[in-house]
Amino acid sequence: MLIKLIGNEIIKIFGKIRSLLGFAALAVLMPLIIWGFSKGATGIEQDIIRQLGDSFIIVGSILNGFLVTYITMNFLWVHIPFLLMLVAGDVVAGEGASGTFRIILTRRVSRIKILFAKLIATYIYTIIFITFFVIMSLGLGSLWLGIGDLVVFDKGVLILPQEMAWARFALAFLFASFVMIVVVTLCFMFSSMVNSGIGPIIGAMAIIIIGLAIATIPIDIFKTISPYIFTSYFDIWQKAFFDPIPWVDIGKDVMVLSAYTAVFIIISIIHFIRKDIST
Amino acid sequence: MSEVILSIKNLSKSFGKRKAVDDLSFDIKEGEIFGFLGPNGAGKSTAIRSMLALIKPDEGDIEIFGKSIIKYRNSALQDVGALVERPDFYEYLSAYKNLSLLATMDEVPKKRIYEVLESVGLSNRSEDKVKAYSQGMKQRLGFAQALLSNPKLLILDEPTNGLDPRGMKEVRDLIRKLAQEGIAILLSSHLLHEVEQVCTTMAIINLGKLIKIGSVHDLLNESDTFITEIKAEPVAKAMKVLKSLTYISSIINSDGIFKVKTATKDLKNLTRTLVEAGVDVSAIIPRTSLEDYFLSLTGDNI
Repeated sequence: MLIKLIGNEIIKIFGKIRSLLGFAALAVLMPLIIWGFSKGATGIEQDIIRQLGDSFIIVGSILNGFLVTYITMNFLWVHIPFLLMLVAGDVVAGEGASGTFRIILTRRVSRIKILFAKLIATYIYTIIFITFFVIMSLGLGSLWLGIGDLVVFDKGVLILPQEMAWARFALAFLFASFVMIVVVTLCFMFSSMVNSGIGPIIGAMAIIIIGLAIATIPIDIFKTISPYIFTSYFDIWQKAFFDPIPWVDIGKDVMVLSAYTAVFIIISIIHFIRKDIST
Repeated sequence: MSEVILSIKNLSKSFGKRKAVDDLSFDIKEGEIFGFLGPNGAGKSTAIRSMLALIKPDEGDIEIFGKSIIKYRNSALQDVGALVERPDFYEYLSAYKNLSLLATMDEVPKKRIYEVLESVGLSNRSEDKVKAYSQGMKQRLGFAQALLSNPKLLILDEPTNGLDPRGMKEVRDLIRKLAQEGIAILLSSHLLHEVEQVCTTMAIINLGKLIKIGSVHDLLNESDTFITEIKAEPVAKAMKVLKSLTYISSIINSDGIFKVKTATKDLKNLTRTLVEAGVDVSAIIPRTSLEDYFLSLTGDNI
């Protein structure tokens, strides 16, 4: 039954135009970015060569599909949560707003099953969306600009050999998907509490913006509390490009994010099963 | 003796300080078309939402086919179909797709979707998106989803709201047809003539409390608050006779037409007495409906 309910929820999600907006945005934006890189990213290339030129002999172009994907991940990762929240915020609250709870919650299926079906469908949507992002960035970028060694920037510049880059990207997207799961679960929690699709998006965005500010602004009091805030671990995907990979740190980050996700799910369940449907 | 299908036991529910339902109790028996009557804000929708586990009552319980909705929600709702207020659907999906999602939840075969669409006259529009439907069509689709699981009890909350007179008639005809098929029906309405036309039994609530319950026929007959218009001549003689009758509580003479307040059961005696006294009676028209009865029960004047 749960699988059938998940199927129902996926049909509902993909039946709505708002669910396709993110795909449309990526389908337009990514080719544009890659095209832009192919035409006029000499500035970036020269900056990197200037930094590396004294120590390395650069053969061929460092401006490849890997670098484009890495740069895109860095700046799009702030905006992708918003696109995912358009769906996560609406998935429960939208039923309240449109009055359709009255036809689904009067049937002999338990509320908890319905809630889990919605949550899993939201996760599936998130995974599909990130897979699409992978195709449009890494896939299209590699086809268009070719592949080569990956230059990444952290505390300094690090060059990862081409054969290692694929595995690092796989790991980075895995961690990034996990972070997005935390984000959509937060939004889902708000969605289970209200009857408006906008409220959960605003609520979740507000928490993420405040959390990221606390995690990044170098003030003593913020430094003290930032280890307890989940947004402090949102950069976990970048650790996939460190050398060596800091598995212990990653393990700790995963545990903290998992704990927060579990708390968000528990709050959603408690709220939803006790919720009076008055719309 | 008819089986009790739905039993409301001391149901109470408050929203903040406002008590929406206050110690409500009644039973619905097999084969009844049960009218649930009350003005807007009387607590009908809250009671109905409690029956369907959409709202958790503060006190009391509801048993459907002997199973508590609070303890055994899923099995209690097994044989229940419901249409609560507006018929809202996933407007971006077709009628068939909407019912298909619900059929999955009810665990009924897909052919049942076609059966219910046929029974409400929407089979030729099943592939249209619901957003293209008129209000009347949505209402019929609302009935279709309620009937999907072959319910033995149908709970309908204000099912004619927003419909034009033709749509209202269609819905009432459909309710009668379903009742003939053996489905027990609870029909909530603030439209008194609707209950009068369709229901066999009724409960009247106001301010969350049960005011009256019984068969529609008995309630109409037992009341002494009904107005009957009588056209009789000669006027003076007719007035004299009417004044002598103890079961008439008030008489108004308006240009030879008397408006008298009396119980329906006394109308036969009234006619006979007038005729035997040599008064020509050309018309006796009951003017009071359930509406007046309801207003009298809730403390308003006729």
